Amino acid sequence: MPTTADQTTLHVPQGPALGDAPSRPRPHTGRRARRGKRLLNRSTPYLFLLPALAFMGVGLLYPVCRSVWLSFQDWKLGMAPESAVFSGWENYLSLLRDPNVYTSTGVTLTFAFTVVVLEVLLGVALALLLERPIRGMSLFRTVFILPMMVAPVVVGLIWRFMYSEQFGILNKIAKAVGIGGVPWLSSQEMALTSVIIADVWQWTPFIFILAMAALQSLPASAIEAARVDGANTWQTIWHVKLPLMMPVIIIATLLRLIDAFKVLEVIYIMTDGGPGLSTEILSLHIYKTAFVSQQLGRASALSNLLLLIVLALSVALFVFSKARERQARKVAM
Amino acid sequence: MRIQKALTSVALGAAVSLLALTTALASPYDKYKGTTLVVNFPAHPHYDAVAKVLPDFTKETGIKVEVDKLQYMRMHDKQVLEMSKPQGDYDLISYVIMWKTEYVAKNLLSPLAPFFVNAALADPDYDPEDILKAYIEPVGIVGGKKGYLTGVTGALYGVPFGSETSVLGYRKDIFAKHNLKVPETYDEMMDLVCKFKDLEPGMSGLTSRGAAGHQVGHAWLLHLNPLGGTVFDDHWKPVYDSPEGIKAAQYLKKILDCGPEGGTAFGFDEMKNAFLQGKAAMYLDSVSVAGEAENPEKSKIVGKIGWAPHPKGKVKASQTGGFGIAIPANSKNKEAAFLLLQWLTSKATDKKIALAGGSPSRMSTYLDPELQKKFPYYPMFAEAFKAAAYDWRPLIAEWGELNAPTLGVALSEAMTGKKTIEQAFADIKPRVVEIMTKAGYYSWSK
Amino acid sequence: MAKRRKNSDLGLIGYYALLIALSLVCLGPILLMLTTSLQLKTQIFDDKAHFLFMPTVSNYVAVFEQEHLARYLTNSLMVGLISTAVTLVVGCMAAYALVRFRFMGRDTVSVATLLLRMVPPAVLVVPVFMIWTYDFDLSNTLSGVILVYIALNLPFVVWILQSFIEQVPNQLEEAARMDGANPLQTFFLVVLPVIRPGLAAAAIFTFRIAWNEFILALVLTNRFTRTMPVMVSLYITEHNIEWGQIMAVGTLIAIPPLIFTFIASKQIITGLTAGAVKG
Repeated sequence: MPTTADQTTLHVPQGPALGDAPSRPRPHTGRRARRGKRLLNRSTPYLFLLPALAFMGVGLLYPVCRSVWLSFQDWKLGMAPESAVFSGWENYLSLLRDPNVYTSTGVTLTFAFTVVVLEVLLGVALALLLERPIRGMSLFRTVFILPMMVAPVVVGLIWRFMYSEQFGILNKIAKAVGIGGVPWLSSQEMALTSVIIADVWQWTPFIFILAMAALQSLPASAIEAARVDGANTWQTIWHVKLPLMMPVIIIATLLRLIDAFKVLEVIYIMTDGGPGLSTEILSLHIYKTAFVSQQLGRASALSNLLLLIVLALSVALFVFSKARERQARKVAM
Repeated sequence: MRIQKALTSVALGAAVSLLALTTALASPYDKYKGTTLVVNFPAHPHYDAVAKVLPDFTKETGIKVEVDKLQYMRMHDKQVLEMSKPQGDYDLISYVIMWKTEYVAKNLLSPLAPFFVNAALADPDYDPEDILKAYIEPVGIVGGKKGYLTGVTGALYGVPFGSETSVLGYRKDIFAKHNLKVPETYDEMMDLVCKFKDLEPGMSGLTSRGAAGHQVGHAWLLHLNPLGGTVFDDHWKPVYDSPEGIKAAQYLKKILDCGPEGGTAFGFDEMKNAFLQGKAAMYLDSVSVAGEAENPEKSKIVGKIGWAPHPKGKVKASQTGGFGIAIPANSKNKEAAFLLLQWLTSKATDKKIALAGGSPSRMSTYLDPELQKKFPYYPMFAEAFKAAAYDWRPLIAEWGELNAPTLGVALSEAMTGKKTIEQAFADIKPRVVEIMTKAGYYSWSK
Repeated sequence: MAKRRKNSDLGLIGYYALLIALSLVCLGPILLMLTTSLQLKTQIFDDKAHFLFMPTVSNYVAVFEQEHLARYLTNSLMVGLISTAVTLVVGCMAAYALVRFRFMGRDTVSVATLLLRMVPPAVLVVPVFMIWTYDFDLSNTLSGVILVYIALNLPFVVWILQSFIEQVPNQLEEAARMDGANPLQTFFLVVLPVIRPGLAAAAIFTFRIAWNEFILALVLTNRFTRTMPVMVSLYITEHNIEWGQIMAVGTLIAIPPLIFTFIASKQIITGLTAGAVKG
């Protein structure tokens, strides 16, 4: 039964990479088109694109540019916009002097990389372990995607509730087993781990589903060939399956990584950055700088710092995707 | 049941007397009948009590009130947003004491004098002198000494409504069982805090806030003041890391270490519940908990609580804090908003709110015999206000930036053992100086 | 032979055991939210965990009575549905242009769209708040929230829909063109119906983000325009955290996406894999 999922995954190898112009049929540049229609035809793609570009321009691009502009201003929340004064690089210099910014950046990087490594390891391992056509798999898959569908705010609430040292279920269990109370959210050492656990709970299934799809789209011939050569299960995984899955795994990893920098709600609800700055990721720090400390210029400078990190990762994703596509084309030839 | 009966009779009485008045003269409220006022109140026990009384206002005056209830730490952002627009959403706001200077500095509030001089609006029986001095001066007046204290250059911008001071709550039963003396000084209290773990299984010493940010900062200030410390000296030099400041932090660390589990993540709610659920022997924080503590739905320790003044350190200095109400400068219905403000803080309403479980702001309410019978701790509380420290924390416009994101983080790092107290304090010094320099506090000392 | 069979039987049992254990891990916290929302405060605070209890709807009653719940539910639905509808139409057209046409600036648009997908909402909070409040006069309106959600979701939708449009056989469009359809007709009457599964996937993801988003909504709304995630966050108060009611609202927020998951899990998985496996 070829599901749509299988179709899309099957078409991975020759799939065009993001945003570049592979050799594709060009139905609309046919020279046969009549002159009168030509102008219409030439403007057609722009007509189709215009609304999307308008929305993204107003809602994304312009704000980002405005944020760059704002980062050179000194403006307090609650004051009229006219009161903003140009302050040059002062916001950035002040950030560089502030140890909390370094701490927060460190927390962000630790959080993002830890969750992604854990999620990828767990997700891929589970996919390899559970790869077997059985009855009921679609039901299980449905259950596995449930955590991703729950609102981050609600995830934060659920975990904050479960982590409570006074009445949370986790410490009730820990005490029943005799471990004693765990300071989930109240100790500097534990809080980040607790936040990471919540994220791993929500997002490991994402990697799992992707790895599963990748596995199912592997060419049966390659695996058959390995078996004929006498490879055992472990060898097949290590030398055949994993290398073939690698492109998907890497893309999924980068996607998760970029999403990990978007996390805010779960931590806002669970710890609000504490204790100390142990869970104060940059996105939360931006929010607080803007709306608690009310330094809009400084918050914009911080925003640009975060944007820079994410941009670097995006470029990595882009470069990788291009390289993969070139490879794929070579294989196809 | 009894409260309800009392309430209805009071309300009825008020309504009848008002009716009598209206037949004689036009009511001052008539002009504003049908207006809808939008007020921004926090989720807080005092304002829960207010919610029960508020319908009476509409009944008496014909002015409708819509309440936007917000969590109080988030209320600030929303208020600043609304009040900085050309036309705001709010006609009356409840603000936390520490925001007053900032709001006035940003021209966000209406001064109250123009309303009090307007004979058509000001109630001659309002009796402002009856409002507790320890409340109205720190909460309402801006522009006096140091800018945020009272003084001849000051002016009134808000009226206390749900103000608080700190008191010591203790478990009478446990103290009696082990023959313990209720601590009157810090030395006595610090001797006690770690003892309960051994005396009573499952019980801890003193419950305290400890969550990073505002919460742990607040807990530290509770001890800093009695120990004689301040955050800044009279020339705005930061002295939070003075020996007194360090001692206060050491005390707090000991209190948290011997307190209920998870204390370093406690906000007010968790802190209070640890006491009300019987997991701590002592409580040292706002008086606002007193109503709930005797409510069997919310408390497991009904009838077992004794109240005492905040223990004395070098000095007696209990907290001054809590809420005031004020009129945003961009409100569309300022006069009607003033009438509501005046009604809410009047003698009669103050008593009604007290009966409904709120924190009164008037001496007459604390001395009311009917209320003293119902709330036996009232005389003790009335006494506690005399020791309230007006200059409990620097209520400067920059406090928001100094409090949660700076001091609150350093203290949290010290409380959880990430850094030593001295180290944590030293690390934030450059940021504190930067904030103060930028605001111009040191431009006069040059 | 028989031994081997037994082994694989054992393997199968272990296999199912693992699957069930994983399902429990995934479901546990969600179920805990549901059960807590049906408990009284005393049960929630009790030192023992209650697995068997008399469910009560008192939390739901309290939630529906106290707050302007209907208002906030309506807001969330409006924001979710309108922004999803607009995003889909607009995104689909853009994706179609990017796949089927070659034109000046195509690469630039394509790369820019991709890069915009990476922008974290936290980066948008300050400038969007500022622009919406002072330039566009859109703060505190649902339109403002909808506008930013459309922008936020578009790059993703354009991205995953491209892979679906690529699969539409060219002959279909050629045939339509022969019959004299203009590009718009071809798009709406021929292409759109064929990529319906892709649209469903994109719709679910867009709705999910619009329905669940919090931080922008927090900054851009007021008491009239608040959405459900903002509303539930206000329950974390200083003085009284009503966990039963919080979990009741949490359950209400979780229900629509969970329903989608059950009726359209195949589309969701398609969307996930198309989005990521495609690159």
